[in-house]
Order: sequence, then C-alpha cells, then structure tokens
Amino acid sequence: MKEKKAKKDFCPHGFPDCPILGEIRDLRDACARLSHQVETDGLTGLYNYRHFLKALETEMERSRRLGLPTSLIMIDIDHFKAVNDTYGHEAGNRVLQHVGSIWRTHTRKIDIACRYGGEEFVIILPTTRLYRAVNTAQRLRKTLEEKELPLADGTSISITASFGVDACDPKENCTEEEFVDRVDRFLMQAKSEGRNRVCHRGSHGKTLTTELSREEREALFASKPGD
Amino acid sequence: MEFPVFAPSSVCFSSGKGGVGKTSISINTALALVDRGFRVLLVDGDLGLANVDVMLGLSVQTTMRDIIANDEDPRTVLVYPEPNLAVLPASSGVPDMVNLGPEDQAVIGQILQVLSADFDLVFVDVAAGIGPSVLWFNTVVHHNVVVITPDPTSITDAYALIKVLMRDHNRRRFYLVANMVRNEKEGIQVCQGLIKVVKKFLNVEPEYLGFVPRDNLMARAVRDQVPAVRSAETGKADEAIRKLAARMARGL
Repeated sequence: MKEKKAKKDFCPHGFPDCPILGEIRDLRDACARLSHQVETDGLTGLYNYRHFLKALETEMERSRRLGLPTSLIMIDIDHFKAVNDTYGHEAGNRVLQHVGSIWRTHTRKIDIACRYGGEEFVIILPTTRLYRAVNTAQRLRKTLEEKELPLADGTSISITASFGVDACDPKENCTEEEFVDRVDRFLMQAKSEGRNRVCHRGSHGKTLTTELSREEREALFASKPGD
Repeated sequence: MEFPVFAPSSVCFSSGKGGVGKTSISINTALALVDRGFRVLLVDGDLGLANVDVMLGLSVQTTMRDIIANDEDPRTVLVYPEPNLAVLPASSGVPDMVNLGPEDQAVIGQILQVLSADFDLVFVDVAAGIGPSVLWFNTVVHHNVVVITPDPTSITDAYALIKVLMRDHNRRRFYLVANMVRNEKEGIQVCQGLIKVVKKFLNVEPEYLGFVPRDNLMARAVRDQVPAVRSAETGKADEAIRKLAARMARGL
C-alpha cells in the first residue's frame, strides 16, 4: 500500500554483501507488510474495523478544526445469508469482494471505505455535507443494483444493499460511538422499510430532493391569505 | 472542544426569494436596535452582489474580499454609519465570492469572531436563494430570521429554505417576518399559513416575529438611501420595525 522509495542502504564497514544489511532489509519489508495487513481486510482489500475506528477519530477531529461535518455511510448487504445458503460460502466471499470493489471504485480518493464486519460496510466521507453523502449512497446503491455478479457456472446473481447515512456537525459535539449509533439506526430503518434503499435524517424512505412534494405545495397554496 | 460560536447574539436574515425586502428590514431593524442601546454589527452576506452599503449611502473602499485576499485587518474594513452601527461590506460583481469554499468559510468565520467581540449583536444579511454561502451563514448564527411576503413564490421559497436548513443542517428555530403586508392582521395570517405547513411536514414550529407594512416610506427610503427608521417622516413601517426590534431585543 504505502511503499516508500527504497533508500540506498550502506554498510558502515563497507562489506559488499553485508548479511546484517540483508536482514534489516527483510525486517523492514516484513514490517511494512504487517502494518498494511493490520489495517486491511484480507478478503475485500478495504480497510478493516480497526482502521475504521482510528480514521473516524481523526476525521472527526479534522471536522472540529475545519468546522465542516463528517459524513458516514453504513451499508448492509441484503439477504446475504440467503446467498451463502443458496450458492455456498465461496460465492458469498465473491459477493463481498464484488461489493467491496464497487465501494472502492465509486467513491473519491479521500473517502475511507471499510469492512465493518460480516456483510456490513462503512464509508467515511471526510468534510462532506449530508446531501452529498446521500447522493453518494444513492449512486452506490444504484451501481450495485445494476452490476450483476457473474458466477462460475455461467449464471449471475443480483445483489442489493441497504444504506444508512448521516452527517455529524462539529457543533453537535457528539462522540464517535454516538455518531456510529445514529447512522446504524438509519441503516436499521432502511432494512425495516424493505431494504435496497438509502435512509437518512428526514428521508422517511424518500429520495433526497430540495424540490417540494405535491402535498407540500398544495398545503402552501391552500394557506394563502384570504382563505 | 466547543465549536466557536460568536460571543454576541447573531441573527441571519434570509428569504429564499429575492426582492422581498431582506436588506431593508435588516438595516432598519439594526438601526432600531441601535436606538435601544445595542451595538450592532451588520454583515453584508450577499458576497457577490452586495447592497447594504448602497442602501445606507456609504462609500466603501475595502470589503470582506480584501480581508480574505490581502489579509487586511478586519477592523479597518468596517464602516461606521453611526457610532453604534458597524457595517462589514461585501463586494459587488464578484462571482467567485458567491461559492465559498471550506477554507474561505473558515476564514470568514474567524473574521466574524474577531469582529463580533466589540458588539452586542451581529446581523447577517445574506443573498437570495439557497446557495452554499446562504446555507453556511445560516448555520453559524444563533437565530434564523426568514423574511416573507404574501407572494406565493416567496412563501414557497421560504418553505424550501427552512426545509433544507432543517433537514441538512439541523436548524430548528426559525423566526418569520412578513414584509409588504397591508396590516398586522395580514402579516400574522401570512406567517401562520407558513408555520402551519412547516409544522405539518417538517415537525418544527417557526415563530412569528413581526411584520412590516407596504408603504411609501419604505420605497422612498431605498431611493433616497436613507433608512426608513432614520427618515424625517414617521409612518406605519417605522412603527412596525420598532415593534419588531423591541420583540427581538427581548428574545435575543
């Protein structure tokens, strides 16, 4: 992941094939590999839970300094257990990889996509307002729905997921745990409202638009003075 | 860590729709509050098409843009039309100021914080619409005042503004001022109509703050570049604005 440019090593005694130098080099490589492994989920290549906690803390601190909200998207694959039961665990793993690669390729470089555990994922969107995060979630939902995953036997399965989104304003002074809880509740809402949807503050299961609904318009016009 | 909020009470005047008399109301209310003993800073938040200075007949050399671009001392940019009223002018005809980036917002936030230490009240008169700078100003102040007129498009735009602020920015307290109404009765009626719909769909309850009647005094004031509250004549508008200011003084 973060491979530094190899520094020119030299042996203080000037031995051309210094064995200690070789050992140091091996150790350094192992160290880099391990620190990469420590923060990566082996199956999907996304960041793991451990890195997520660290990154969320960092980003919320950045939020406080910049005065801009941090957004969080939590995702749960719909009926993942059924995929496992029907197609086997190998297919289940393929689904997780497929989904993970969509999260990675359809978010910005600064976004931090992590595997939260099992079939749950979480994406941190640094210094991002809610409506942008909701747009991102909508885009991810649509992409996943449209991209079928081809299986080895020639068939393909279509996967959907449920999304919970929220933004944490630095003024709210909320902790990382509270924030994750809040987003998780929107994810629960998306699940209970029938899956394959994005839920967020004020969404009530509807898509985010600044346009007014017909009911709202009618109510506004009905309230014209002289009524 | 506490996010820095301005020490004095701060109020943002917005409307959604343009031309409803936002600037006129914020200037006159500011002056009426000056008369009640407040030291008021009036920030021209219409960063691209400023006109607080025009309405007050001020000649402005440096603006908020100079502070941001050239690191001018914010205090030197302030213009004092009266000892207890300061105006932080914005520049006109500068499109790049309309869409504030996060860094600009942070800088302006700091500027306002530095400046507001010397005042009791900070008024921000924002641009029309629901652009990024409008939303941003609305989220850094304590109180959100929304100016409406009986015009259905004004009411619709005000509703849309409240909806976005509430849903995306967690704002829950709004105050309504009805402008260009015939009398107080119509003012209350117009506000009540909007309050009812906001309550029904958005589950927040804006408060009625006051009204300003449509009269010749207000129109003439803009033309003569002398605010109605400072005009030699007195009229219904002047009286209504003082009433509005009195209610504000109590609530802030």
